[in-house]
Amino acid sequence: MKSRSSIILIVVAAVLVELTSASMYWFASRGIRQEVQHRAEAELQVKDLEIQKVLNSVETAVNNSVWPIEHSLGEPDSLMAILHRLTARNSTIVGAGLLFTPHYYPQKGRWFEPYVLEQPDGTFKESQIGGPEHDYFQKSWWKEGMAAHQGYWSEPYFDDSGAKMMLCSFFMPIRDVKGATVALLGADVSLDWLSDVINANHVYPSSYNVMISRSGQLMACPIESLVLRKNIQEMTARIEDTTARFVNKEMMAGRSGKADVKNEKGEKYYIFYAPVGVTTEDSHLVSSTFEGSTPGWSMAVVCSDKEIYYGLRHLAFNLMLLMIVGLALMGYIIWRAVRNARQLQLTQSENVAMEKELHIASAIQKALLPKSFPPFPDRQDVDISAMQTPAREVGGDLYDFYIRDEKLIFCIGDVAGKGIPAALVMAVTRTLFRNVSAHESQPHRILSAINNTLSEDNPDDIFVTFFVGVLDLPTGRLRYANAGHESPVLFTNDGTRTVCQPLSVDSNLPLGTMPGWTFTQQEVCLHGEATVFLYTDGVTEAMDYDKALFGKERMYKALRCCEQRGSVDPKTVIDVMRAAVAEFVSGAEQNDDMTMLSVRYSRQEKKVSMRRSITLPNDVQTVPQLNDFVRDVCQIVGLAEGRRMQLNLAVEEAVVNVMDYAYPEGTKGDVVVEAVADDCLKFIITDTGAPFDPTAQPDADTTLSVEERPIGGLGILLMRQYMDSINYERVDDKNVLTLSYSLEKVITEKRAI
Amino acid sequence: MMKTTIREDDGKLIATLEGSLDTAAAEQTSTDLKPLRESEGRDIVIDCHELEYISSSGLRILLGIRKHAAAVSSTVTLTGVSDVIRDVLMTTGFHNLFSIE
Repeated sequence: MKSRSSIILIVVAAVLVELTSASMYWFASRGIRQEVQHRAEAELQVKDLEIQKVLNSVETAVNNSVWPIEHSLGEPDSLMAILHRLTARNSTIVGAGLLFTPHYYPQKGRWFEPYVLEQPDGTFKESQIGGPEHDYFQKSWWKEGMAAHQGYWSEPYFDDSGAKMMLCSFFMPIRDVKGATVALLGADVSLDWLSDVINANHVYPSSYNVMISRSGQLMACPIESLVLRKNIQEMTARIEDTTARFVNKEMMAGRSGKADVKNEKGEKYYIFYAPVGVTTEDSHLVSSTFEGSTPGWSMAVVCSDKEIYYGLRHLAFNLMLLMIVGLALMGYIIWRAVRNARQLQLTQSENVAMEKELHIASAIQKALLPKSFPPFPDRQDVDISAMQTPAREVGGDLYDFYIRDEKLIFCIGDVAGKGIPAALVMAVTRTLFRNVSAHESQPHRILSAINNTLSEDNPDDIFVTFFVGVLDLPTGRLRYANAGHESPVLFTNDGTRTVCQPLSVDSNLPLGTMPGWTFTQQEVCLHGEATVFLYTDGVTEAMDYDKALFGKERMYKALRCCEQRGSVDPKTVIDVMRAAVAEFVSGAEQNDDMTMLSVRYSRQEKKVSMRRSITLPNDVQTVPQLNDFVRDVCQIVGLAEGRRMQLNLAVEEAVVNVMDYAYPEGTKGDVVVEAVADDCLKFIITDTGAPFDPTAQPDADTTLSVEERPIGGLGILLMRQYMDSINYERVDDKNVLTLSYSLEKVITEKRAI
Repeated sequence: MMKTTIREDDGKLIATLEGSLDTAAAEQTSTDLKPLRESEGRDIVIDCHELEYISSSGLRILLGIRKHAAAVSSTVTLTGVSDVIRDVLMTTGFHNLFSIE
């Protein structure tokens, strides 16, 4: 589509440029043509004037001799002197003669022609040349001169005998007193100068001028040898173009005009022609004294079409070349532009696709984080709120939390960097956190495991600051470990007032920096009500337009606001912080991911309705005693037989586990089983053996085939299946495993019955 | 307390389990059921009509029998399984390993 329109564009441009240059060419050639005509006409006129000046001087000189001759007719011998004067006074007149009619002077005979000739050495020779050998009566010019009754110019001729030059004679009739023509006064005019005049000053270097006589004889042309030897009609006979012959006729008829003629080679010539010696109206410089007497010569300026238009054609050719180059260049530019536009379009669509993918990535990332709040609506002891705003579509911050075996495991982290690389590492970190913490309740070990995996293959040295907390919900014991993250803020309430202070943390190292690092773990016991506020540096390093940082001071100020209000509800804390940051940055662009997590814990003290205990040695043969104990307890709290069997199974598995694994083979130890009923029935199994966390053991895979099924792993599976929660704590060098079964369900079940 | 009897009927070994198969009883029961691990290709039926309770130790015994039977291409069928025990079998995935009637 685009390329077609660009081709059309180029074609239109080419046509326009072509049209413009064609019309320019046409106007220019017309101008040149007019210029040529103007110059040729000027040339013709100038030459005409020059020639006419000479001819007029001859005519005048001859004319001036007519009167003296007519008055001296009576004295024939005095005529020679007049002729002598005429010859001597005019440089172009090389000879003068007086040709009398037959027997005008009887004594002189039939022919009488006194003649004065100016010789090359400047002397004058006087003679009577008329006679049978020079029978001038037979000459055409005699007859025509006699018939003319006025000045008459003869055809040019070549004087072989005397001057050896081209001559032309001007005759004037001489009349006696009765008015009868008795003689012709003839002046032989040298035409030596004619060639020079005609051939001088060409309009163009290769243009030339031609002069012909009225009979078509060449009088002047660039080739001297042709002068008087060729007739113009012979010359043009071979030319096919009939215009040439028309021009001949026109010239011979004494008309002026112009014509285009092609020579035998087909080359085009422009011919401008005009008669010579005809006084034009504006030629006041020369006054013809003898009107009507013209030599009938005609001059032509011949210009070669090639030469006239050489410059223009050369220019046009160069312009054409330039134009082709220009069009090619334009085509190239358009092609490039189209290609670029296409590329841009492609890039844009790629960008759109990438944007779409980013949206999807963003959605996936959001799905990685818990997002329904409050997350545990049924629990009284814990409430959580969180928020995350990535600076870009995806971010490197993460938080996560979940409850496993009555422990709230939560974390917050910040991957160095922003955007997609950070988001990928964030996703990996979150997955590792979940996988590791599923079987590990010790924060420092969780950090170690994540750290080792992240450090293993970390070519870009991306690191993650990370904080993990594990809050034992029954006891309020918070264990935590920190990998270079900001200290969380702890709000504690001693019953009278709320105090807010940073939680003391060891900074350790961020995750991913050094494999094998041993992380330290810290512990705090939360009594009464407490709230932990965790955040990433996107909060403290939020910038306003002046690049000022929000800072910890402002953060604590906002947190103390909550403290003073006495409202450390997790959602309120986050809302207050969010509002404080928003007010501070006042619309400046967010330049880092910002995450907050707030956890409130309140220890639940419940009314105990029953408490019993039994102490057993680590001998499986005492299991029937345990079964009896469980049966009694279940009867007290009113559980059905089927349910009793299930609880029995769970407790037996737990106790047998302790008997089998807590104490080294062959050593004796006790297992204390305490049953406590409040809103739950709890079996608290305590031993003083080696630390052993059954909740950290993987469940058996129940989908394996017979051959693949391992012997172990069923106990923990059954415990989880039949109890509502299990919880392990290592307290005072004792393993404490609590199996809880909610009695609220039992009440509901009973009501249903 | 646990009572175990094994008889042969129609080319099958039929074991009857009575009482509570807890961890304490497991060792004895395992010994009592040793003939089932020498079935020599005979199909095995374990009668659970009178079985009140089973712990993971008991399940391990059943798994041992089942593994042995699989090695000699014989079947193990559990009959008369109570709801409580059926639930235990379902929970542990053992229902996939035995045919239960």
